[in-house]
Amino acid sequence: MSDTPRPARARRLTAPVMPGRDTDYRDPAAARLHKIAAERRTGRLPFAGSDGGAIYVQDGKVVYAESRRTPGPGATAALARSATGEQAGIPPGYPLLQARSVTEILAVAEPTVDAALELMSGESRPSRFRPASGPAAGRAPGISVAALLAEVARRQRLLGQMATVLTADTAIVRSPHLPHRSIRVSARQWALLIRVQDGSTPRDLAWALSRSVFSMTAEVYRLLTMRLVAVDHGPRRKTEPDEAPARLAALSFIRAVSVEKGDTMPLRTPGAGSGIDR
Amino acid sequence: MFPRAPVSLCSRASQHGGEEAFVIDDEAGAPLGPVAGIDGFLLGCLVDAVTGMVVASRSDHDDINLPAAAAAAMDIAQALSLLATELPTDGLEDVLVTFRDQLYVTRLINTDAEPQLLLVVLLDRGQANLAMARREVRAFCAGYAG
Repeated sequence: MSDTPRPARARRLTAPVMPGRDTDYRDPAAARLHKIAAERRTGRLPFAGSDGGAIYVQDGKVVYAESRRTPGPGATAALARSATGEQAGIPPGYPLLQARSVTEILAVAEPTVDAALELMSGESRPSRFRPASGPAAGRAPGISVAALLAEVARRQRLLGQMATVLTADTAIVRSPHLPHRSIRVSARQWALLIRVQDGSTPRDLAWALSRSVFSMTAEVYRLLTMRLVAVDHGPRRKTEPDEAPARLAALSFIRAVSVEKGDTMPLRTPGAGSGIDR
Repeated sequence: MFPRAPVSLCSRASQHGGEEAFVIDDEAGAPLGPVAGIDGFLLGCLVDAVTGMVVASRSDHDDINLPAAAAAAMDIAQALSLLATELPTDGLEDVLVTFRDQLYVTRLINTDAEPQLLLVVLLDRGQANLAMARREVRAFCAGYAG
């Protein structure tokens, strides 16, 4: 009797004909992306469904992603370009190609990762890869598929930590009673706070501020821990103003990356990991 | 001001945990080049202070766990920021952690501008001077132009 667990033995036996990682076979989108990367293909991987979108690939590297449920890079990329004095337009579908500074690339990479997170976490499924020609000129920097999937998995673990209290679609309200006489918040947190209305969700705020849904969810969670906002439990609970909100545990980023080798987290955590209420 | 250099996206495999750190890095070593000149330099990275995503990194040692170093910096900065809300202080500036063999310097760049970035620098304690390192990190952050 072999000491090797049966799934590991099966994986070893099928490795020559089924390249990729164990998680690939639990997640068809990851499997498809690994295959596209291995073949260094260029084109578009569409995701079907009402909350679908697409991941754009060049030479096996992800250069762009879009989802109907996340704000695109248009606004932030335009801001970054104007900040650096660049007037040239970004070619649709391949905005990373024109980026030059960390700020500019982050302005596109963050929405790209955000869209990929939504596509990989939701119910939409990848359909047929459509080859397309790449940009006419220029070298194409891109995100390796492995790196993108690692970042998506890290974010899914963080969303999993928050999911018992907050998802991207949880309604929030501003706390009527501040816990301190004065409190310091960042410019982004202030911009978020002044836009919170009864029933706002992190996703609504992300669209309002042209920020990624993940970053807004994380930021709202921080404001929850600071007791500046509260989860909207509806009119019945709002009549209890003296109720002290529970102190929440802070997000643990180290816990989100300290998964041992081989101990991969499920890419689709029903209801929780996706950050989507369904 | 430090020069703005062309950068590209690439990934770097971590030897720990089998995870790849998602990084925006430049092939020539900028924009973290000035930090890499600090005595005892082991690792430097820029981390998005909101999402925890590593956006640039430079390391002279492949055996350092970049995702863990970045994540630890996020947790420390986050905990101290929460503490700062409870105390009459004017906000977090930097964090200096001393291990027996390493120094760990974290500093917030762009306090009010977007994007908010954390600079994380790991140094060999035997070769580094903490005061000088902090001064150089502060100068880098003051001159950082994105």
